[in-house]
Amino acid sequence: MSSLQTPAGPSLAIRREAFSFTGSAREYFGIWIVNVLLTILTLGIYSAWAKVRRQRYFYGNTHLAGATFDYHALPWRILVGRIIVVTMLVIYNVVVNFFPVFGLVVFAIFLFAVPWFIMRGLRFNARVTSYRNVRFDFTGGYWGAFIAYIVGGALIYLSAGLLTPISSRWMWNYMLGNLRYGGRPIECDPRLGKLYGQMWLPAFILIGGGLLGVAIVIAIVIGAGFPEFDTTGSSGWSIAMTMIAVYGAMVPLFLIVLLAGLIYRAGVRNVVFNETVIDGRHMLASSVHRGRFAWISISNLFATLFTLGLARPWAAIRMASYMATVTALDTTGALDAYASDLKNAGTATGSEFLDVEGFDLGF
Amino acid sequence: MASEQGAVAGLWRNAGEARAIDARLAIAADGTTSVTDEAGTVLAWGAFQGTTVSDRIGSIARKVTFPGGGVFETSDNDGIDRIMAPHSRGPAGFIHQLERFRPRLIAFVLATVLLGAAIYRYAVPLLVEVAVAVTPPAVSTLMSKGALASLDQTVFEPSKLDAERQKALSDGFAQLVALTDAPEPERTAYTLNFRAGGPIGPNAFALPDGTVVLTDELVKLAGQDDELILGVLGHEIGHVDHKHSLRQLYRAAGVTALIMLIGGDIGSGTEDIMVQGAALLSLSHSRDAESDADKFSVALMHKAGRDPAAIARFFELLRDKLGDHAEGNFLSSHPATPERIAETRRYAREITGSN
Repeated sequence: MSSLQTPAGPSLAIRREAFSFTGSAREYFGIWIVNVLLTILTLGIYSAWAKVRRQRYFYGNTHLAGATFDYHALPWRILVGRIIVVTMLVIYNVVVNFFPVFGLVVFAIFLFAVPWFIMRGLRFNARVTSYRNVRFDFTGGYWGAFIAYIVGGALIYLSAGLLTPISSRWMWNYMLGNLRYGGRPIECDPRLGKLYGQMWLPAFILIGGGLLGVAIVIAIVIGAGFPEFDTTGSSGWSIAMTMIAVYGAMVPLFLIVLLAGLIYRAGVRNVVFNETVIDGRHMLASSVHRGRFAWISISNLFATLFTLGLARPWAAIRMASYMATVTALDTTGALDAYASDLKNAGTATGSEFLDVEGFDLGF
Repeated sequence: MASEQGAVAGLWRNAGEARAIDARLAIAADGTTSVTDEAGTVLAWGAFQGTTVSDRIGSIARKVTFPGGGVFETSDNDGIDRIMAPHSRGPAGFIHQLERFRPRLIAFVLATVLLGAAIYRYAVPLLVEVAVAVTPPAVSTLMSKGALASLDQTVFEPSKLDAERQKALSDGFAQLVALTDAPEPERTAYTLNFRAGGPIGPNAFALPDGTVVLTDELVKLAGQDDELILGVLGHEIGHVDHKHSLRQLYRAAGVTALIMLIGGDIGSGTEDIMVQGAALLSLSHSRDAESDADKFSVALMHKAGRDPAAIARFFELLRDKLGDHAEGNFLSSHPATPERIAETRRYAREITGSN
């Protein structure tokens, strides 16, 4: 609030502006339940309006230096995008089910189509986002997305995860480095060494947890002895026991993989944000505590599941609040000296039809 | 100037500019909306109908956008609602009224749960029926031709069954098809195809257009018992007649789409778990479809003057020769074999006893 009144002079002093989040679980609960109810009632059509209300609530409650963010997407445009995505899902299912041979061809087509959708999705989201009345823009191209997501994704699989930081670097460089604010560039060039530094703890958790899990399963199998585990594996009892053993092993394994992923993600966010510079003068700062982030994520998931979804609004607000408190912007100059790039403002509202959130942009 | 009905305090920003100045917005009785700075200088003005006021959501700041692109922003939600009330058309902030934290939200929670269940139980099946009804037969034919062609390329070899046996089975198959209630064009679409099963072994399956495939391995398993094979074919005709595969396909796509659409509201972790849950539930539909087809076979064989329990004998053969004693559980796509034997035998007795 105060910075608005402070005339920002041309000093080179660094001033830290903290992000803050003012949404409340009580307020969001009403918005959320009405969103879910109307979405179900309209067989999904309201989901586009629901998304706009949800995004506006979270953006509008995110404060930085006395101003908030805003989300300007038009619901019917989101609806058109969603209809396209759902139609493609149906076609994909039909083809994979009835033309197994063409399934491969369709998979290849998808592989080349996904980067295009990611690019358009990022551009859409950037152009409908504003801070202080000034719009963001995204200038990434198709091949950048192809390298970051398809080549980067393949790299992770082919190297059994060892090259994950390279892929993380490409993705973040693509996502943040192509962002523009008020026509001014944003640079994001996280150093590979630092990203690798974030891999030790998750790798240790994966290997340690995996070994421990295998040891426990072996102990259970030997301990219980599976006396009537006949060789055909077809007796009902042994199938039930096998199922219990499989699920007993799967759930902890799932949690270990989840935990390692969350810790890596939090560490990478810190590295990436701390090396992101806006307009050559304002530096993003992130200080996520990895353990705390993992705790919030996992306890949120369990709270949501055990309340059959009712704790979801509380969980979402809790996460947004935490992420805001660990994010800041080190500014060296006035934040209100920006203006929307009017040349881009026209296309921003004119040509976007696709909001492709069916594809997860995570890791 | 016309008399003011009150004003709200906020910030003014020129089109596309980040810089803000303190300002006040007022709406006159004739709808003239004006923004003035602290010194009283008019920054913008125009008819209220020409401006856009953002919807009220929680307590986030409201924005009044003027035709030129300038934006007045205020956190005084009640204030702006009050001064614009005489000039706005329709029930302003209807959704916001629903969303307020009041005891009736409990009713919304209950309504959501009940509606969700009702949609899964009634609306999805109804939509599936509509989709099945509007799917032109050409689509089924195209799908089936594609599926058989790709299986022929990858899995199957030509049948080594002698022509005499093929003819006997085909005749029996045609007799069964002729006894179904299907209209003439659908009946002529039924074809029986013989293949060497390779990796899929003793098996028979039906494609949505009536293409039924029977593997040599299954014929060998049945020995000389043609009626037993016809019992199996009756089961496959049942799948085609009841359009099971199209139904399951549409159902899976519809349920997944619904879950995806509320995905943003429930978080990706919960979304993944719900998709898995829906897959488990779809297996129960698959088991129902199998029992359905079993009964169809019993009835059709009876109608054809053949042994209605032929399908039960086939399951007994599976049990004895392949050692299939498995109990069913919620993870099976088919009901358990012992259960199917008992159920088909019971139904066969029922159907013969009643005549």
